[in-house]
Amino acid sequence: MTSAESCTVLESCALVAPVTALEFLRDDYLLTGEGPILTLFSLEGSPRLRASQNVLQNFRIHGIRPKPQTRHDAHDAKPNPDQPTSDEITELAIFGGKGLRLINVSPCGRGLEVAGPLMELQDWVLDVSWLMDEPCPLLGVSIAHNAAILLEPQSGKVLSLCSCAEACLLYSALLIGQSWEESVLVGGTVFNQLVLWRPGRTGTGRQCQAGTQACALTDAQVERRLLGHSGVIFSLFYLQSSGWLASASDDRSVRLWHVGELSGSGGCGVEVPTCLRVLYGHQARVAGEDGACLLWEWEGEGRVGRTLKSHRSGGIRSLAVSNASVGKRSRWVATGGADGGVRLWKVVEQSTNSELKVEVEKEDSQMYLGFEGIGCPKVVRSVGGGHTVVTCTDQGQVSMRQDGSWKEIWHGGPDFQSYCVMEVVCIQGVWVCAVGNLNGGVQVFPLRQPGGGTFLQASEGKIHSLQWVERRIGACSRGSWCLLASGSEGLVQRWTVEVAENEETGLFLVLRKMTPFLLPPCAKQWLTAAVTVTIHSGKKKVLWVCGDRRGSLLLYKDEKEKSQRESVQEEDTQESVVGINAPIPAVATLFGVHGKQGVTSVCERRGVCYSTGRDGCVRVLALNKDSLNVRRVHHACKGMDWLEKVLFLDYSEKGTFFEARFLMAGFHSVEFVLWDPIRQEKVFTAACGGGHRSWAYIPSSGDQTLEQGTLIFIKQGTIMASRSLASSTTEIRGHTLREGLHGRGLACVCRLGELSKPGDSSEKWEVLVTGGEDTTVNVLAVRPDQGTVKVLAVIADHISNVRTLAAVPRGAKGDETNGRCRDMSFSTLVFSAGGRAQLQCYRLLIGWDEQTNLPTCQVTQIAGHRLDEKWERRRNRHKTVKMDPETRYMSMAVVQDGVEEVLLALACSDGAVRIFSVGEDSRKVELLWESFYHQRCVLSVASYSLEDIYGKTVNGAVALWDLTAVLDSKSGDSWLGPSVPCLSVPVHQSGVNALVISKQRHQQTPDDIITMATGGDDGQLSVMKIKVEMNQSDQTESLCPQLLSHWSVPLAHSAPLTALTTLSSARWASASPDQRVCVWRLCDDGLHHQGAMFTHTADAAGVWAWQREGANIQGGAYVVVCGQGLQLLKTKEIERRKVVFGDRNKQKM
Amino acid sequence: MGRSSKDKRDIYYRLAKEEGWRARSAFKLLQLDEEFNLFKGVSRAVDLCAAPGSWSQVLSRKLRGKESNEDVKIVAVDLQAMAPLPGVTQIQGDITKISTAQEIIRHFEGQSADLVVCDGAPDVTGLHDVDEYIQAQLLLAALNITTHVLKPGGNFVAKIFRGKDVTLLYSQLKIFFSSVTCAKPRSSRNSSIEAFVVCQNYSPPEGYVPNMSNPLLDHSYDVDFNQLEGPNRIIVPFLACGDLSAFDSDRTYPLQLDSSKEYQYLPPTQPPIRPPYQKACHLRRNNLLAKEDSASVLPDDALSAMSLDSKQETDTAASGSR
Ligand SMILES: C[S@@+](CC[C@H](N)C(=O)[O-])C[C@H]1O[C@@H](n2cnc3c(N)ncnc32)[C@H](O)[C@@H]1O
Repeated sequence: MTSAESCTVLESCALVAPVTALEFLRDDYLLTGEGPILTLFSLEGSPRLRASQNVLQNFRIHGIRPKPQTRHDAHDAKPNPDQPTSDEITELAIFGGKGLRLINVSPCGRGLEVAGPLMELQDWVLDVSWLMDEPCPLLGVSIAHNAAILLEPQSGKVLSLCSCAEACLLYSALLIGQSWEESVLVGGTVFNQLVLWRPGRTGTGRQCQAGTQACALTDAQVERRLLGHSGVIFSLFYLQSSGWLASASDDRSVRLWHVGELSGSGGCGVEVPTCLRVLYGHQARVAGEDGACLLWEWEGEGRVGRTLKSHRSGGIRSLAVSNASVGKRSRWVATGGADGGVRLWKVVEQSTNSELKVEVEKEDSQMYLGFEGIGCPKVVRSVGGGHTVVTCTDQGQVSMRQDGSWKEIWHGGPDFQSYCVMEVVCIQGVWVCAVGNLNGGVQVFPLRQPGGGTFLQASEGKIHSLQWVERRIGACSRGSWCLLASGSEGLVQRWTVEVAENEETGLFLVLRKMTPFLLPPCAKQWLTAAVTVTIHSGKKKVLWVCGDRRGSLLLYKDEKEKSQRESVQEEDTQESVVGINAPIPAVATLFGVHGKQGVTSVCERRGVCYSTGRDGCVRVLALNKDSLNVRRVHHACKGMDWLEKVLFLDYSEKGTFFEARFLMAGFHSVEFVLWDPIRQEKVFTAACGGGHRSWAYIPSSGDQTLEQGTLIFIKQGTIMASRSLASSTTEIRGHTLREGLHGRGLACVCRLGELSKPGDSSEKWEVLVTGGEDTTVNVLAVRPDQGTVKVLAVIADHISNVRTLAAVPRGAKGDETNGRCRDMSFSTLVFSAGGRAQLQCYRLLIGWDEQTNLPTCQVTQIAGHRLDEKWERRRNRHKTVKMDPETRYMSMAVVQDGVEEVLLALACSDGAVRIFSVGEDSRKVELLWESFYHQRCVLSVASYSLEDIYGKTVNGAVALWDLTAVLDSKSGDSWLGPSVPCLSVPVHQSGVNALVISKQRHQQTPDDIITMATGGDDGQLSVMKIKVEMNQSDQTESLCPQLLSHWSVPLAHSAPLTALTTLSSARWASASPDQRVCVWRLCDDGLHHQGAMFTHTADAAGVWAWQREGANIQGGAYVVVCGQGLQLLKTKEIERRKVVFGDRNKQKM
Repeated sequence: MGRSSKDKRDIYYRLAKEEGWRARSAFKLLQLDEEFNLFKGVSRAVDLCAAPGSWSQVLSRKLRGKESNEDVKIVAVDLQAMAPLPGVTQIQGDITKISTAQEIIRHFEGQSADLVVCDGAPDVTGLHDVDEYIQAQLLLAALNITTHVLKPGGNFVAKIFRGKDVTLLYSQLKIFFSSVTCAKPRSSRNSSIEAFVVCQNYSPPEGYVPNMSNPLLDHSYDVDFNQLEGPNRIIVPFLACGDLSAFDSDRTYPLQLDSSKEYQYLPPTQPPIRPPYQKACHLRRNNLLAKEDSASVLPDDALSAMSLDSKQETDTAASGSR
């Protein structure tokens, strides 16, 4: 019987996968392999994407081998004039898994084109090399069972196959040589040896048929063995020019061998190869697990030349170094991460006599800057953006170091000779210095012309601190500078400072006094930080955000303008004319938010304010006309309790972070540290001796990452630098070609909504949140039509894996009236939960940024909760053993979405199901109910909210709970929950990994029918229909669920079914580590397989589907799968002739 | 985190120490046996990829019984050295290597084995597809050895990763065994892709000649059959095994399991002998890894000088998952 039947076609829209292959084409292009997708970047000017194409279908790209233009240059690191120039076609052999394919790069890097069919070889390909000395170029392929294949590239015909007599599995291999006859295969074995043999030696002349093994009659013998490693050999590299072979192993070392010339006349190289060096330096596997790329100085004593840190926790998956071309002394280094990111560095070689020497500036240890002056230096500052250093001593002497020598600039009188504070600033291109003393005096002068200075009496007593604050109105206008001097009794005097020039006397300063600020009373009543922020509420308004020694953040407003004129100039003049009014108190105070040790800095970036303190936190502040609120708190790493500043990463300003990307600068015991809160690692450290010292950090010019800078600091009464200041040019420049996602596996994904570009509805972005093993929650925007993925925000508050997410939509708060429709922004409440029984809640506001022309995300922390928080606060916890289980939250469902609070059900690994309430306004998380009914790890929960029921699953069974009682009892005192479920059905043999519930109103009866789909570790998919009736016997209402029908597909996947999502009322999409995404439909006669697609997301752990805007209900949905990476798919319904499921004969045709 | 944290995270790890097993894997074999009666009538067995040796312990205890039975022969093979066990012959070698395979065959002196087990797992490269491929090759290497030593009607049990190409392995195994089941012991975590194929009744195709010098290669997808993206057609039944009342490997338990017994920390039964990363860990622990300002060249035999009895816990970086 044939009739039309629909089936589902899936199509990939976007993919983020580990970058497993990288290769440079000269200095001009970089090729990357991400899953099966080959991408071409051009490196000229600022690097950018040129073309991208799926070339290996279901194989991952592991290698890219450009065809050398002429002979004798494969594996040759010499600068090569014969390399194809960019106006010719470059042929590439792309391989991975058992696949191999030829691809051409069009002239001038215009694009990529397929040059042959995908060849599927009999065994896993480890290396491919172009054999240029053959009459016409052939391909030599080394495969995993210690054998090599000779291939005719265009046809894919196997000309010869040769195995080694030492039949074994290889983890890595290299095929070296220009012809089959002379080529040498280096194999990295499982048993710690490197074996060298010649495939062409035995198979010579014997042609053989493709795929058969019959021809390998006599196997080649191993000619050399390199012993020394104590683990599997993961990776190999051969350098022809010096006859060196490098091997990386599971033993975490790299060994460098002298093997001499391999292939050609050299045969298998020198008789007795020697091990030149053993290099240990990596924290984890050399395969790149520690995410660091070490440039070893080959010539040195095996020192690490430079560490290039690059990828989020998962580590590096591929690496490439470009050949230096003639006349250039720089080359590119690229790394590809497990996070899907690609980083690129330009490395300048310092010496040209050795091709090898990727020598980067010698890491001299700390340097004395040879300060010789009067007194002990107390303050250091860097001026001019370069390596010029200014210092002020406790004897009131200001000196400057320029070009290696110190000179005195200014020396204060007796008043300055026991205590002083100093700050410098650049006003209209002139560096101005302010020095304050013990008696309330402040000397302000241009560094260039100290004589043009002015003395101010700011206070009766000691000047505690000085601050230079720029006051600007609007983003573009040039601001004016103010000097703030914090004196006695909490009085902060303020002046505007301008630099003027006079023909006779030269530079002089124009100062105007402003109304002082008054700090709130406390023991240590002085100012530690100040900044101005412009807000736009009706008209532009300048607000002052200050921090004090008590740890409070304060908001000040300038005096009410006396006239309605808004010009700053006018306003200032008026003030000075009117005279000084009474000091202005703060309009809002966050008392002691940064702890007793005080606020250390406040700064502003793109209208957002950031504060740091000696409590180890950065606070992101939301400003209002007269209120100051903490939007988010970022913690530095454990033990880094003294933060000094945030340093903004400039390159990301154009990026999509609503909050600017920044590093935290501070002290971690005796070190000065730059901590990257997103990558969660120290990117710079200098042993300066710890806190309580003045410092200045000078980034290298052109280094966007800020990681390669120099710290100037005071230690034991002298000025030091973390390294030599002599070489002022930078050696390394980092670029991010593609930003990575989570470094490790993604455990969950959830879609928040869609955003289109204002005025261009064709540019649509889907906004997703993901949570992963790297303990972060990411907010992403994906543009399906282009496959672009942007990270909008990274939230790093979890201390362990993030396993589950939930979201409830909210109207845009604040400007609900006009906000939503005008700029299409939307707001969501997002919950994340996972390891160490931690639950977090955030309010996200997704909007459009006109400036960057990209979506943005603003994150507001609402609440956080951990079950064992009480334990953490116990003093003596180090002495006792914590007996409670280390509970993980496995899954989460929203049970009730109320205005005041949201109720969540959490499946817990300790065998419990818990219900929490989260209040957005109260910022509180409360445990309402828990049940240990199951005594097993609870794996999933889903809720069916209208009737207050939810299902949860454990060990193969699904239980249905009636939570009406919990939801009805408003106050927390009740614990009125049920003690047993109202229905329990065994469904799977082992764990139920996924559970989704959908509901339908029954047409005839008023009863609700719920449809519950489950996916199990046994690979089975089950769908149950359950009728839910209210049983009204005497006073109590009770639920009476009734199982109506139950269908199963026992082996829906050949691996565990790990994630399930509803596509439409009777359709589901399932995902599994078997890397298939399947679509299922429930019909009257059972569950039908509607379609499937191979996905490159391994270890699939989460899936989410939603209707595509504009598509009809039946068809058109998006499905996103996450695991080791993420893939977005599009579904489409098509009609096809009916094939009866299970009828094999028919299917075969 | 203290040393008890692993006890808390992993109940079977803790039980293994309490019962004297060298690894928690012992429970997997015990639970497989509960379901399939694997050891019945078995006196000659091969344990491939055996280190640190908990499966060999199980075999030794189960096959030899109380009195040391002389007929029992257990050959254990691994890349790594293993502490000796009564009645177990050890071979250190790569099971994918022809010479190792030949050595195993020699040990049986023409006799055949009743049971072959393989718990092989690759040294993880971190590249998902590579790990899966190597795992499959370990299984096929074990199968190849099996075809040489297993008696007709005998059983073969091997670890398998249920990944993207697992059906290809199933179809290969079905050629040699009349019954193939994918089994998941309850002690194996729900979250891991690990499972075990229990292949019963060895019955090679007629005329099949085992050939050691050619590796058994994995099958390819049948394109006409649309095996890659069509519905799952290679049906290998799934069976969860082990007592339902057994501990749940995914659950986190409190340290105090029952009120009658006080929790006590126990050291691991048998720490690994010379793991490959030992030297690197030693260097790291003593802050000797090369940094940007110090050299890392140490004489190769620096290792021999370090005391082996110092902290021999498995390295946290290598095994540490939160
Ligand atoms: C999970 S452990 C086995 C545990 C063991 N069944 C027990 O109960 O103690 C996996 C073992 O496979 C071994 N292995 C991996 N590749 C191997 C190879 N090619 N040849 C031999 N052993 C291998 C490893 O050395 C490791 O000891």
